[in-house]
Amino acid sequence: MTVPVEAHSRAVSARLWGVHKSYGQVRVLDIPHLEIRAGEVTGVVGENGAGKSTLIGTLSGSVLPEGGEIEIGGVPLTLGSTESAAHHGVGLVSQEFPLVGQLSVAENMLLGRRPRASRRRVLVDRRAQRAEAAAMLEEVGLSPIEIPVTRQVRSLPVPTRQMLEIAKAWGREPTLLILDEPTSSLGPVEAQMVLGLARELADRGGAVLFIGHRLDEVRAVSDRIIVLRNGSLVADLQPEEATEARLIREMVGSELARAKPKEKLVGARPLFRAESLTAEGLGPVDIDLHAGEVLGVAGLMGSGRSRLIHTVAGAQPATGGRMSLAGVPYSPHGPADGTAAGIVLIPEDRKQQSLVLFAPIRSNVTVSILRRLSVRGVLTPKRERAAAKRITANVNVRMQSIDQPIGSLSGGNQQRAIFGRAFASEPKLLLLDEPTRGVDVGAKAEIYELIDRAAKDGMGVLVASSELEELLWICHRIAVMNHGRIVDIVEREDATKERIMKAAAGTESRLPGTSATRRTSRMES
Amino acid sequence: MNTQTIATPQQAPASDRLTAATLLRKFAASPEAGVVTACVLVFIAIGLAAPTYTKVGNLQVMGRDLAQIGILAIGEALVILTGGIDLSVGALAGLAGILAAWFNVREGLPAPVAIVITLVICGAVGLWHGLIVTRLRVPPFVITLVTFTVSEGLALAITTGTPINSISPLFSRVSSFRIGDVPLPALIFVATAIVAWFILERTYVGRQIYAVGGNAEAARLAGIPVARRTIFAYVASGVLAAVVGVLVIGRMNVADPSVGGSGWELTAIAAAVVGGAALTGGEGRILGIAAGAILLELISNGLLALRVSPYDQQIVQGAVLGIAILADRLRARRFGSRQVA
Repeated sequence: MTVPVEAHSRAVSARLWGVHKSYGQVRVLDIPHLEIRAGEVTGVVGENGAGKSTLIGTLSGSVLPEGGEIEIGGVPLTLGSTESAAHHGVGLVSQEFPLVGQLSVAENMLLGRRPRASRRRVLVDRRAQRAEAAAMLEEVGLSPIEIPVTRQVRSLPVPTRQMLEIAKAWGREPTLLILDEPTSSLGPVEAQMVLGLARELADRGGAVLFIGHRLDEVRAVSDRIIVLRNGSLVADLQPEEATEARLIREMVGSELARAKPKEKLVGARPLFRAESLTAEGLGPVDIDLHAGEVLGVAGLMGSGRSRLIHTVAGAQPATGGRMSLAGVPYSPHGPADGTAAGIVLIPEDRKQQSLVLFAPIRSNVTVSILRRLSVRGVLTPKRERAAAKRITANVNVRMQSIDQPIGSLSGGNQQRAIFGRAFASEPKLLLLDEPTRGVDVGAKAEIYELIDRAAKDGMGVLVASSELEELLWICHRIAVMNHGRIVDIVEREDATKERIMKAAAGTESRLPGTSATRRTSRMES
Repeated sequence: MNTQTIATPQQAPASDRLTAATLLRKFAASPEAGVVTACVLVFIAIGLAAPTYTKVGNLQVMGRDLAQIGILAIGEALVILTGGIDLSVGALAGLAGILAAWFNVREGLPAPVAIVITLVICGAVGLWHGLIVTRLRVPPFVITLVTFTVSEGLALAITTGTPINSISPLFSRVSSFRIGDVPLPALIFVATAIVAWFILERTYVGRQIYAVGGNAEAARLAGIPVARRTIFAYVASGVLAAVVGVLVIGRMNVADPSVGGSGWELTAIAAAVVGGAALTGGEGRILGIAAGAILLELISNGLLALRVSPYDQQIVQGAVLGIAILADRLRARRFGSRQVA
């Protein structure tokens, strides 16, 4: 157990003693003593299941620990009460965007409280509400012109909602601001904004708890990094000691093996082709993808990454152009046409778009092949169970039983199960949208292996991701998108972060109409 | 709320240029447009076809009918907004009438006292629903279905199946009282609608009800007392059911357990949904819900005025509802107010 050694002059914002929590036999959190100081960004890293969520839960009141005490600004919290936590100044920005889609931006920003300028206790002061919401947006660098505070929140894209969520928590002037993987849905530019924001609050004397899965981000923003493993605090590091290798070692308990360099694709046959493909906010785009190839799609938030993936999947209607799969023309009218043709999409949002969380693992992994499992249209439990076991074993889902709800698995295991389901339907083309969002380091490596395996089995893989390192790691080629078009296409060996970032962030499209068809790559120093 | 301009100084006040065209567009883009338009069209169409339809006498009949489904619909809508459902309102209204009559006739209490006791009892039933739903996490469908069954049974048990006669004349005086030509029950409906609108649109309690129904987790994390807001809705629904029950026995001048409200809860739910309330919660406004109740009443009364065979009435009612909902979906698509990125 590491306890901070140096004497700190800074005020303590939050203090935990003997906080522990178990689910059944498993002790998921056990913190004998932890201080979070004002004026600092405290980074928290750990694998999924390491206790990060439970730590956040106990601080924000959504989890009732079995014992221990928590003080915020010297005042003891009523444990397990979100009201108490909010009242004493714990602000939480969670991954789940707890916004009310049906309400306006302004009402969401001031959810659960009254505008400061308003004297009314019972009646809503909409004018004051809107004014304060607009001020809150400006405070975090968002423009109330671009995001009118009267807009319904559900009409806004996901990254914008994340920014709103941060603005909302920030506007409450929290004593302790908890950011739970706040950049996981954001592109690099927006992520920078959020990191800057975390820094700024700390510099103003606030205490920030920054939970991250991207180690470079956590290292860049934190004054101190604590590492959780199996519910215990295993390291408390100063930024200079917290190298990536050290952090990973502390997280997983051993050094992660480095992946081998990717083998060259030789003699691959063309699999998927899109010519002047257009859709709302997309294109025209040309793509040429080979069997066994992993083609990455990079780009900033709103660059059309997801739109491209969704258009190919048939989830967003194409407005022009042609597509073909294995030489056969392909023009989907919906995702069902995509799956029928052998194209499977693994969407960005596991919980909303992929899984029935309360249903057992068994039915979640077999849902895409039920027709094949049925005998003359009748499904027998025996065959379904056998198939579910085969599928989960194939992708190494760690679980107690195929009958436990899939929601009880860690994020990485859920994602593996989804991959298993996708493989089970034997697709030709696999579409991935942010395949490792909200997944920890160890599980990430395993998902990369699965992607690798899919390619080796002869599938084409089109993967959109906001994490450049990830694309550099797994892809044969990377297409860079900007304003709905592909502005650069980079071979693996030529790919550098700088080159991709430059193309992605460029205001003028560098190569107008550049297509992603295989060609001798343009060298650029 | 999304049609207003905001207080940022940079934005030109669009409200300065309120021409007839922009007003019309705003109306068309509002979620209530479909049901309000349907009300007007149905009224005009039936009025032209059946001259008795628009006579004062018939309008008064409709006003009294409307009080029944309209008030129930508003209570039901409050519960639906929290993401719940209250199946008990019809049976509870029936029981409330029996209770009020029983306290008045069998216990000899003065009518106002009997009415107040009935309101309190039904409010307590609502409180019970709210507590069971929020504390024990019993699905609202289930617990209110229990109350539905028990209420119907109680009404029969109390009366042993025979109507309670010679209730205080005060009941029928309330139900038949008119201000000008407008029946008092219709005014009670209007007052209920205005109060509900005010609470939902203008008070924090009301806005928080929308938040609870829209995203209970978000509401909880924001420190909104989710349980209290939910319970409020069930209590209001219970009390409003009692109001309807009292109005009904006044109208009949007898408390008849065989009249008691079965099927009314479905009419109330239909009115709320036609008026734009989403059964998933968090969505729907009182104007639409009131208009939904009015539309249902206009149609069911209109079918009588048109002398449609009683055997065909339900088919016509269903068809008209279907068309109204279809038209509203088409409108929503045209104006894109519901699209999610």
